[in-house]
Amino acid sequence: MASAGTSGGSVTELASRLYDACISKFSADHLFYQQDLLGLDIVPKSDLPLLLQCTQSLVDQKLFRLLQGKNDRLAWKIIPREDAEKLQNLSPDESLVYNVIHSTGRSGIWVRAIQSRTNLHKSILDRCLKSLEGKNYIKSVHNVKFPSRKMYMLAGLAPSEDVTGGAWFTDGVLDENFINVVSGFIEFSVSKKSWYEVPASDKARNKRIKTTDGSATVRSKDAAGQREYLPYPPGYKGYPTVAALTAAVNQSGITPVRLGEDSVTQLLEMLCYDNKLVALNNGEVYKSVKNPEQVKARQARKPDEDPSVVEDRLVRNGMTEVPCGQCPVFNLCVPGGAVSPENCEYFETWIHEKSPLSF
Amino acid sequence: MASQYAAELCMLLVEDNFGELFGRIFSTLHRYERLTLQRLVGFTRISESRLRAALVAMIQHHLVHHYTPLEEGVTYYNANMQAAYYLARSGKILEFVEDRLGQYAANVMSTIMYLGHAQVSHLETLPELQPDAIQTNGFREGQEDLREVDDDDNGENRVNGMNGMNGVNGANGGDHMPEQSSLHPTLKALAAHGYILRVREGHFQSFADNVLDIERQIKAGDSVQSLKGKKLEEYVLEKTGDLLKERLDGDLTRGLLINGVPRGVKRRRLNGALVEDTKRARFDYDNDGEEDDENEWFDDEVPMESSLTVRVNYEKLDVALRNRRFLDLAERDAPPETAQVYDFLLRRIEYQTTKCRDSAEIPREGEEGEQYSVAIPLSSLSQDIDPYLDLVGSLGPTDVSSTNPRLGKRTFDETVNGDDDTHLEESAGSSGNRAYEIDQHLSLLAHPPYSLTSKRLSGGLITWTIEFRHLARKLRHLELERIVEARYGDVALRVIRVLQAKGKLDEKRLQEISLLPFKDLRQVLASMQTGGFVDLQEVPRDAQRQPSRTIFLWFFDPDRIRDSILEDTYKSMSRCLQRLRFERGRLKEFLDKTERSDVKGNEERYLSEGELERLRAWRAKESLLLGEVARLDDMVAVMRDY
Repeated sequence: MASAGTSGGSVTELASRLYDACISKFSADHLFYQQDLLGLDIVPKSDLPLLLQCTQSLVDQKLFRLLQGKNDRLAWKIIPREDAEKLQNLSPDESLVYNVIHSTGRSGIWVRAIQSRTNLHKSILDRCLKSLEGKNYIKSVHNVKFPSRKMYMLAGLAPSEDVTGGAWFTDGVLDENFINVVSGFIEFSVSKKSWYEVPASDKARNKRIKTTDGSATVRSKDAAGQREYLPYPPGYKGYPTVAALTAAVNQSGITPVRLGEDSVTQLLEMLCYDNKLVALNNGEVYKSVKNPEQVKARQARKPDEDPSVVEDRLVRNGMTEVPCGQCPVFNLCVPGGAVSPENCEYFETWIHEKSPLSF
Repeated sequence: MASQYAAELCMLLVEDNFGELFGRIFSTLHRYERLTLQRLVGFTRISESRLRAALVAMIQHHLVHHYTPLEEGVTYYNANMQAAYYLARSGKILEFVEDRLGQYAANVMSTIMYLGHAQVSHLETLPELQPDAIQTNGFREGQEDLREVDDDDNGENRVNGMNGMNGVNGANGGDHMPEQSSLHPTLKALAAHGYILRVREGHFQSFADNVLDIERQIKAGDSVQSLKGKKLEEYVLEKTGDLLKERLDGDLTRGLLINGVPRGVKRRRLNGALVEDTKRARFDYDNDGEEDDENEWFDDEVPMESSLTVRVNYEKLDVALRNRRFLDLAERDAPPETAQVYDFLLRRIEYQTTKCRDSAEIPREGEEGEQYSVAIPLSSLSQDIDPYLDLVGSLGPTDVSSTNPRLGKRTFDETVNGDDDTHLEESAGSSGNRAYEIDQHLSLLAHPPYSLTSKRLSGGLITWTIEFRHLARKLRHLELERIVEARYGDVALRVIRVLQAKGKLDEKRLQEISLLPFKDLRQVLASMQTGGFVDLQEVPRDAQRQPSRTIFLWFFDPDRIRDSILEDTYKSMSRCLQRLRFERGRLKEFLDKTERSDVKGNEERYLSEGELERLRAWRAKESLLLGEVARLDDMVAVMRDY
């Protein structure tokens, strides 16, 4: 009894010394193997059963977390004392659930997955989750990839990009307004750097020279009304890079969060698919297709305006003009059939609309 | 080309241009393929004598191919769809020729078109090609007839071919002694540009007949007797290509091109650069030039051989029209000066390009190799380009930070002298600089977003070429994108471009790249799938093929879409023509009145105010529909011919 007591006491004492040594000598994230612990020279004579007893008692006190390292070896990680206290107050079921949630880190875990891993009954699991959430140990997160799944992660962690979908998602939903604002800003700032604005003093000269040219009238009208822009020659080095644009966006104050270069690149690529920007040198620098004046004009336009005044659409072609191009019953149209070019009502209205002298 | 809607369209075009008789023969030939005269009589129920006359005229217009195998001695006829389709493009071609070579050249061209093919000596005798006949309405009538739709009456005239032509204009013909002052030079110019070609016997047979005939000929020859198996095949194939080229070659540009430029063009440029409209830089051959220029041009002129028979070279004109589309692309985005430089490059290339593609069938996306145009040396371009074109001021400075000394100096000069001439002479004088500036403009076009040119270095010389296939593809995608945008909005456009760039994607990845909310994305994908623009591929993860264990990938197949849009375009074109015919039927009696021989040309005198109003309304309607057909033809050209 006494010997057991002394041995028990020494184990506890040894264990707490071991724990302190681990905390002071290693980082909080270190994965301890048997050699590491023996190397600390706290367990006398490398007594393996004794070490096992120590670690077991630490695990029981929730100061150590038992893990399986490489090659199925046992390994441990230390848990800070304040966390350990939290854990000690949990019921065994709760602590089981907590550990499972803890193990998935920043990516979170689906409730069904917890159930299958813990083998707990659904009602018990629900109770555990509720109590853990009530104690503010875990939180429920929304995953963009599986919007219908209920997922949990530790309360102290920020969800990873995979879960949130990156900077462009707010609460798991793509934030369209935010994207529009940022992309508008980016396009305009790229545009400012990809076109050379002719200084006012040069305009007179341009007008002069153009008089030998067919485009004289067009050009001089431009110069009178608005600013004139010229493209830069091929060797131009001033096109903005991703880094410069990221910095500009973050400085502008239009984003509540700091955007990373990855997010900005994503947006830039989208703008390329919109034919608003083009990537040069394999996406190193970007150039805008429209000059700042045009960009501004387009952005100022309301989305619900009459589409006929929208000129930055691709130029129309035959198929988009002719009524057949939009006809819902085009496939049924046969001369002499129920739908035929003779009785076509679209043609009727189209001809009346388009020919200026209709009667 | 032989699809249902293409056939319908060709039939309509033939019928509209040449009347019902031709239409009936043409559609019968298309429906039953090759026919002998006897069987044709049986199917069409037209009397043999009429049929013979019609076939002669149709052959004259290249609408019908004929072939007589030696051993049988019976002639087979079959329809030439391509020639029938080109009827839709005639207006565009005439407009283009007028733009390039002036009104008179367009007249000559339209006469040749109107006749199908014509001997030079015959063209000499035509009254409407006499210099002073241009003013009379004889010719214009002819031209309009070609574009307008004829009623039976005119069709009959055409049946008689050339004689009919004379009959129409008989009233004002015959009085003039032929003054060949401008016909021959114009023909030479057309020939030098490659817009017309010599008619060869092979042109009257279909392509397949020509090939088979040549193969037979080779196999019967002595040189193949020693060859067997694969070697024989190879030999025949190679030899066929050579002989085919020889047989169908009607090239008239030989001897008329000097250093890759048609004779006369360059000289005109140097003297006439100031007077001419430099924006389009037309090379006008008509009478508004200076007198000594004309003389210079005519002095060394040997008239065209009068026994030569010429026809329109549609292949070459397609090249020219395609170049014009490229220029449009440049004009849309690049500064006007750059577009002008590009125009000169394109023109140089056009002279040396005979057709748009090597292969006859439409190439599949991603399976075609690149085909470069001839390389044009920079030095020859700098000779062409108008020295007064402001190349410097139309590009920004390379370096923004330092205040540009060049621009600064310019402004200074200007304020002192109040005149730019000094500076312009400077820049024109130093040709090295000039070449560099042109190079800069072309380099601008070589970079995205344009990618319209590409630079080559051959033996230390800078040359510029065009990647034809790349640009043709670009045009094609542009047309498809326009349709997508018009039907499904710009969100769809983004999705299509992403799919095109990345291939097959599942919905999640697609959303990540296109940054669209799920709801919008699904909506637009679903509606595009209904329209046949995108499609879904299922990749099951296990053998059960449960939907939950299946990956769904969206994709966009440009070839398939191109084919279906092409068919739709043919169909729309025929619908426009059919509608036009219907509209004409509604106004038949009134239109008959306006076309009476006494009323025609004197509408003001014979028609009341209300009737004139009606006539104007009708003309507007007609031009709307015909204009639309021409616009649709632009799309067909992009998707099929370029």
